[in-house]
Amino acid sequence: MSTDLVLQKVETLLAGFAKGTAKPEPNRLDLNIDASDLIAAITALRGARWGYLAALTGVDLGKEANQIEALYHLCEGDAIATLRVRVPRAGGAVPSVYALHPNSMFFERELMEMFGVTVTGLADTSHLFLPDGWPDGMYPLLKDTDVKAAAARTMGSEPPEMGRQGDRFIVPIGPQHPALKEPGHFEFAVDGELVTGATVRLGYVHRGIERACEQQNYTQNLYLTERVCGICSHSHANAYVNGVEQLAKVLAPPRAQAIRQLVACLERIHSHFLWLGVAAYEAGFETLLMYSWRDREVVMDVLEQMTGNRVNYSASVLGGVKYDVTAAHAAAIRRAMDTIEERATHYLHVVTTDTSFLARAQGIGVTSTEEADALGLLGPTLRAAGVTRDVRVDAPYGSYQQFPVTASVDSAGDLAARFKVRMLETLESVRVIRAILDGLPEGDLTVKFPRKIPAGETISRFEAPRGELFYYIKSNGTDKPERVKIRTPSICNWIYVLTKAVGSQMADVPPLLAGIDPCFSCNDRMIVVNRHGGDRRIWTREDLRRHASTQTRR
Amino acid sequence: MRALFNLLFFPGGLFLIVLALAYEWVDRKLLARFQNRIGPRWFQTVADIVKLLVKEEITPATAHPILFGVLPVVAMAGALTAALYVPLLGFRPAFSFKGDLIVTLYLLSLLTMSIGMAGWNSTSRFTMMGATRALTQLFSYEAPFMLALLGPAIVAQSWQISEIVAANQGPWLLLTQPFGFVVALIGLMGKLEMPPFDAPKAKTEIVAGALTEYSGRGLGLFHLGKEMELVVGLTLIAALYMGGIANPLEFFGKTLLLLVILSTLHAILTRLRIDQTVGLWWRYGAVAVLLQWLALIAWKGIVA
Amino acid sequence: MKFGTMLIDVWQSFFTKPVTQRYPFERLEAPDQYRGKLVWTAGKCNGCCLCMKDCPANAIELITIDKKAKQFVMRYHADRCTYCAQCVQNCRLECLGMSHDQWESAALKRQDFVVNYGSEADVAHILATYGKPSAEPAATSATE
Repeated sequence: MSTDLVLQKVETLLAGFAKGTAKPEPNRLDLNIDASDLIAAITALRGARWGYLAALTGVDLGKEANQIEALYHLCEGDAIATLRVRVPRAGGAVPSVYALHPNSMFFERELMEMFGVTVTGLADTSHLFLPDGWPDGMYPLLKDTDVKAAAARTMGSEPPEMGRQGDRFIVPIGPQHPALKEPGHFEFAVDGELVTGATVRLGYVHRGIERACEQQNYTQNLYLTERVCGICSHSHANAYVNGVEQLAKVLAPPRAQAIRQLVACLERIHSHFLWLGVAAYEAGFETLLMYSWRDREVVMDVLEQMTGNRVNYSASVLGGVKYDVTAAHAAAIRRAMDTIEERATHYLHVVTTDTSFLARAQGIGVTSTEEADALGLLGPTLRAAGVTRDVRVDAPYGSYQQFPVTASVDSAGDLAARFKVRMLETLESVRVIRAILDGLPEGDLTVKFPRKIPAGETISRFEAPRGELFYYIKSNGTDKPERVKIRTPSICNWIYVLTKAVGSQMADVPPLLAGIDPCFSCNDRMIVVNRHGGDRRIWTREDLRRHASTQTRR
Repeated sequence: MRALFNLLFFPGGLFLIVLALAYEWVDRKLLARFQNRIGPRWFQTVADIVKLLVKEEITPATAHPILFGVLPVVAMAGALTAALYVPLLGFRPAFSFKGDLIVTLYLLSLLTMSIGMAGWNSTSRFTMMGATRALTQLFSYEAPFMLALLGPAIVAQSWQISEIVAANQGPWLLLTQPFGFVVALIGLMGKLEMPPFDAPKAKTEIVAGALTEYSGRGLGLFHLGKEMELVVGLTLIAALYMGGIANPLEFFGKTLLLLVILSTLHAILTRLRIDQTVGLWWRYGAVAVLLQWLALIAWKGIVA
Repeated sequence: MKFGTMLIDVWQSFFTKPVTQRYPFERLEAPDQYRGKLVWTAGKCNGCCLCMKDCPANAIELITIDKKAKQFVMRYHADRCTYCAQCVQNCRLECLGMSHDQWESAALKRQDFVVNYGSEADVAHILATYGKPSAEPAATSATE
């Protein structure tokens, strides 16, 4: 079904609700909807099984317009339908769509705390990213918020309650915990070994990236978006570059696009090997961690040779790439691919046949295809449940049309399936890299790129190792973007952990957490302020010791 | 006087501590080599213990302070005392009396039970879970482990370690009682909370299990106790199942061979969940050792 | 139903050299393309400041002594630099490059990270103008 027909279906379904439609790009349809019609509109789409809720963007239209626009982006294959809901800046409200799309829980909490839009019907309205002591009425992503003023006010932080809470025995995982590579706070209510409740609190690695993007020019933002995440840094940079290139209507030369895809595939291998080690370690298989990370070094050395850094490759620039693939690089990459292929095949064999490993991975956290789709999961987590959804296949960008990728899918839906899917993806990436090296187009590396980008909006989707990365970029004709919205795949996958943790054993929770390949840094991109407000005193060793011992008896 | 020397210096006390640290080093070094790493240098284990012993001990506000301080000592005392009844280094055990096999086994369990109590006493969420798991694991492997070690006792018709060793001078018992040997060796892994049976101290789930709140001296003593238990356990199994230990060379040879086997299993297996551990032991462990016993009793009935 | 699938790896590892690199006793050379500290050659620069404009971290300051005579001093803050090489990409006269062998740049004081590139006379002139070598640089372009 062509994209036009797909979008026409939306127009027909929502004919009664849309107050106006527009087609800003061939694959996008914008519909203006009233807040009161939102639930009906989304129900109509869900009923026709059209699309999944990819992201919810809030845009501040400015003090003069005095409105905030909430954009509900739904994607089906290549087509993106955006329901645009305008609410007043002060006191605006939208209904919650949690019943229809469970992953909207995180999007809506984010909308509430960043823009001040009330979402009615939402069960949990506590802060998601902002600290508990954040001053009321201060919404970081509004254009006129003075963040420095917020920093000046002291924000205390109470340590969490210890021991029992009423009848429930709470086990905290995080913010500091050997299971977590980055801080996040999970509270699991347990009864013996059985988990009976789960909550999540994110935001410990807030860095204010979305807001910072509005204050730097497009080139500087390349490096800001790259640093959203360490292991999917190239995916972020590339998604951003694709978006800005769409806005400027400039196409990068074919060689540059192929090199971008090459680096992306290498990054995928790097990420999956890292994940393999980490997930195995969470389940207690330390040896696999050591071996997979040893083999990961092979890929990192190749990337370092080519781009100059092991992480944060900075390979893409607006209009092309910085670095070329020379014959020496190509030879080194091919050698590396031989090693990787052999090791990935071995690991695939290990994770699918080793008895003691399968005892911890098989049958853990099983989702059916319908459930995975309904929850709105993304990436390998979804593909391991039998849903073939991969942006590289559904909406190929860049050189993916020239070097296509097959999505790796498994239908078991459990943790073991996730291991298998990621190893299969690694092998697929090896194949694609070889294809690229064999067929690398000649030509320039960069093309001229304007400094000022014409006003417009664009959506750029990219398949990061963790799932679909969604970038919404709005330009205003200057050299700085108006709004950059980054929706990372990990935020959609948390719902899986919360749902599956309840009813499973405590010992299975860290592997479940690791199974979605969580990237906390990807989640937390919002404003960060010094936690201890105006207290600029540096804590000495004595201070720390005294603080720690007030919790203890001496 | 001789008793005091035995207790403090050889074969208990100081000598045992040195031996325990050496064996820990071998274990860690083997594991590192299996994982393609360099591993610790020869004095690393000594340095670790010294560091722990001089570190400040922080007692949680909600724990009973006396119990908190005494339990590590009790644990180590159990391990030290158990060493007096086994043929360390191939020499005759320092003390020997009828029934010392049972006493040794119970002293070894004393360590696990102190860990359980320490976890409960610390009243932290992680320690409570760790203590529960430690005791659950104790209940699951203890019976098969004990029965496996009593197998040679049946053959020798004595509960005294030195007599059992003396009576089994024929073919090694690991050949004639293979199930018992396997259960005993795997049971030792369970007792030491070695992976794959390290659910009680699963780092990625409950931080450090029952010992989470311990730091400094307490942790050092528990750690040392565990290592001594490793040495004693290996000696016991080598003495009972591998035809006794006649001299220091045999001691090192046999116990290190067992240690290599343990380290290899450690490296290639994933941690088991606590319910899987219990299932494994009560289904396969207990059945294996009971079959072994049936065979033994039948054999005794036919031959004797 | 396979038991111990990693046994082969484990067994082989026992007889091969560990992969650990004993840094700093063993030091591997970085590849040519490695992005280490920024290096600037004074002679070619014409003062266009494109490198400064797009630096995401305000790590470069180009101080003009005499534009016609091409007398510049570049103040490079290695502690702020993100080693992204956008400046290298922007410069049309190839004045900038990232060294591949200067990457061990730990220091105990912030001031030790500031590198002044330029001819000796120019650098001395700048330092004299600004007073102490450890003086904070002039106000940089704000990002907030």
